[in-house]
Amino acid sequence: MRRFSKIAALAAAGTLVLAGCGGGSGGSGGSGGSGGDSGDSQSAEDVCQSQADGDGPSIGVAYDVGGRGDRSFNDSAYEGLKRAVEELGATCIEAVAGQDENDNVRAERLRTLAEGDYDLVIAVGFLYSPAAAEVAPEYAETKFAVIDGFSQFLVEEPLDNLADLTFAEEQGSYLVGMAAALKTESDHIGYVGGVTSPLIKKFEAGYEAGARSVTPDIQIDVAYLTEDQDDSETAFANPPGGRNAAAPMYEDGADVVYHAAGSSGSGVFEAAAAAGDNMWAIGVDSDQYLTAPEDQQPHILTSMLKRIDTAVFEVTESVADDSFESGGVVYDISVDGVGYSTSGGFVDDIEDQLEEAKQQIADGEIEVPTEPQG
Amino acid sequence: MSAPTPAAGTAAGATPGTSGAPERQRGRGRWRLVGLIAAFFVLLCVVRVVTGADQLTTAGTLGVTLVAAMPIAMAGLGGLWSERAGVVNIGLEGMMIMGTLGAGFFGYNYGLVAGVLGAILLGALGGVVHAVATVVFGVDHIVSGVAINLIAAGLAGFMAAVWFTGTPGGGPRQSPPLPTPPTITVPGVSDLAATVSETGWFLVSDLANVVRMLTTQLSSLVLVCLLLLVLSWWVLWHTTFGLRLRSCGEAPVAAETLGVNVYRYKFLAVTISGGFAGLGGALLAMVSSSIFQTGQTGGQGYIGLAAMIFGNWNPAGLLGGSLLFGYTGALQFRDGEVTVHALLLFVVALLALVAVWQLRRGERRKAVGSAVFAVAFLAWYLLTEVVPSEFTEMAPYVTTLLVLAFASQRLRMPAADGQIYRKGSAG
Repeated sequence: MRRFSKIAALAAAGTLVLAGCGGGSGGSGGSGGSGGDSGDSQSAEDVCQSQADGDGPSIGVAYDVGGRGDRSFNDSAYEGLKRAVEELGATCIEAVAGQDENDNVRAERLRTLAEGDYDLVIAVGFLYSPAAAEVAPEYAETKFAVIDGFSQFLVEEPLDNLADLTFAEEQGSYLVGMAAALKTESDHIGYVGGVTSPLIKKFEAGYEAGARSVTPDIQIDVAYLTEDQDDSETAFANPPGGRNAAAPMYEDGADVVYHAAGSSGSGVFEAAAAAGDNMWAIGVDSDQYLTAPEDQQPHILTSMLKRIDTAVFEVTESVADDSFESGGVVYDISVDGVGYSTSGGFVDDIEDQLEEAKQQIADGEIEVPTEPQG
Repeated sequence: MSAPTPAAGTAAGATPGTSGAPERQRGRGRWRLVGLIAAFFVLLCVVRVVTGADQLTTAGTLGVTLVAAMPIAMAGLGGLWSERAGVVNIGLEGMMIMGTLGAGFFGYNYGLVAGVLGAILLGALGGVVHAVATVVFGVDHIVSGVAINLIAAGLAGFMAAVWFTGTPGGGPRQSPPLPTPPTITVPGVSDLAATVSETGWFLVSDLANVVRMLTTQLSSLVLVCLLLLVLSWWVLWHTTFGLRLRSCGEAPVAAETLGVNVYRYKFLAVTISGGFAGLGGALLAMVSSSIFQTGQTGGQGYIGLAAMIFGNWNPAGLLGGSLLFGYTGALQFRDGEVTVHALLLFVVALLALVAVWQLRRGERRKAVGSAVFAVAFLAWYLLTEVVPSEFTEMAPYVTTLLVLAFASQRLRMPAADGQIYRKGSAG
């Protein structure tokens, strides 16, 4: 018996140690999808540790599930952080969310950061909204910013230290929807979303509106990887699912498929590459042409850009020069918060039309819906 | 459910003395299985024609089914090897995770073949740990298995961060793109089958779809796995080695007295088990997708275990279970609301047949139960146009659960499965 208990103790200890090392394996936490980042962001060095002597604002960053290294949402935020450290002399500390957390745990993380006398706490991901709404009133000296958040709707009276940084994803999606409709030869396109949340539906709405503005009766196949709002794994970290969702669209004659499904999108690219020449896919969040393998690059028409890095940098800048704006801050097309990429040169021939539409959206001449019209 | 081979050659089950009878019975069982599969397929074709849900049997659907089923089947095959030797292997999930990690590291650094072998190697390493714990030290099988699952998940997360951070296109949680196994397309046959399947004829076009699926862009690794299923069946049921291995799972004490080195066989079986689970992981990383990601297995090791139980600890049965799961999963994105709705009709027909069969066996009460369910499903089918999209998402799980519930009454696990065997415990 003694031998057993020794082994059991050893196994238990080893398990705990290793399980601790492992960290989370969640997706981008329902964060709004994305795919790759600008490629070189995975450098092992960490600006928060290597540059600890700046005289700019001090920032605490609470990442979504997964943390840095997801080549997606969190990494994009880190890009912005890196720029803030380099250009503004900011100092920072990072915290990562674990899996299956609740609002209390998230709130505690934000408190820990606020207690550390940081000027600004950036919470990455809409999941932090309730936690930020709870913690912000307790620390009037600290500014809180929630990426993709909706915390301002959860507080009883507006707080001047709480901001939600959101994006007009539908506007960027409108442009890539136009690109899809202009490029398709079968008047048949597709869309793969991660989860049926209002946030991801915005991508679909814009895409649909953009495509119909070119070809009113275009056929659009729509698939979502899951309806379970809490299952970010199936939604945003599921390449086989993305592939299985996109493959039937290509088989049925669609020749452009747009995805808003995080790293599941790499499956959409695979499906496009497997479907053959002149089959296109459209990336999301960052310029996915740059991070795609070579055999998929000829199939990536463009990407809808969502500049989380810009948001992180600008909010830091606003704290530095004391111009922090509370409430909802929307990064729309007029400030280049969203847009489309041109890598690969596949949209060069239609760039004039896209730029024209972009201007019209920025001027308010085109109103892009935020809910799919069906 | 359809599982044949009522454990021939076991100490407990077989009729002693008459050597011819079980042999004949086994042969008949095998034909019954083939017949059953054919009947299912024909029924599916009928449903397709009646409902007009063409996606039920397209080559695309069948292809996705096969690719989705194969990792589950490999995990299940791993479970089969281990449990046939009497060791419950709930650590399959963890060994599968090790497999994805191995495919990621070796595949990225040393190429395709190394990736597959590395996956098998790391999976087998997990198997060795399980074997050391359960066979050598006599730790409870479940405890050891759960520990392996936790350790493997943690280890994969940690090693991924060590190995893949800073690699081009990779990150702490995922590897760079991995090489994918070459696909096989048989030129003439593939095109011919495509032409035939266009006709939409009952059964002919469906069979053409099967041919087309098997001859168009079929991953070579999937083919290897299919062969391994056959090979496992042959080794376990047609060699002395297999008989001895199975005897360790049925009556280890008896085997020991007959001079079988039970420890060695169990150890080997569990190691092989891990290797298969690792291969399943390689499929996930290199065939289903083309990168390694942490959390990639998503519980498929457990589903493999369920498929094995569903298949009555038998290779053909576990393949059937895996295909069932893969098929219902594949339908989700293939007009899921329509096709799963059409499947309701399939269920109705199946339940009606079961009711008739039960009636003929004189089990009147059970027959009435089946008939009631059949009518209920028929009503559901007739009163609705489509099933809710939420339902299509959970269809694989519901199906597995239902089939397991129905089939479990006729299952027989190895007699000494899960028992801790100590050498000389016969006294």
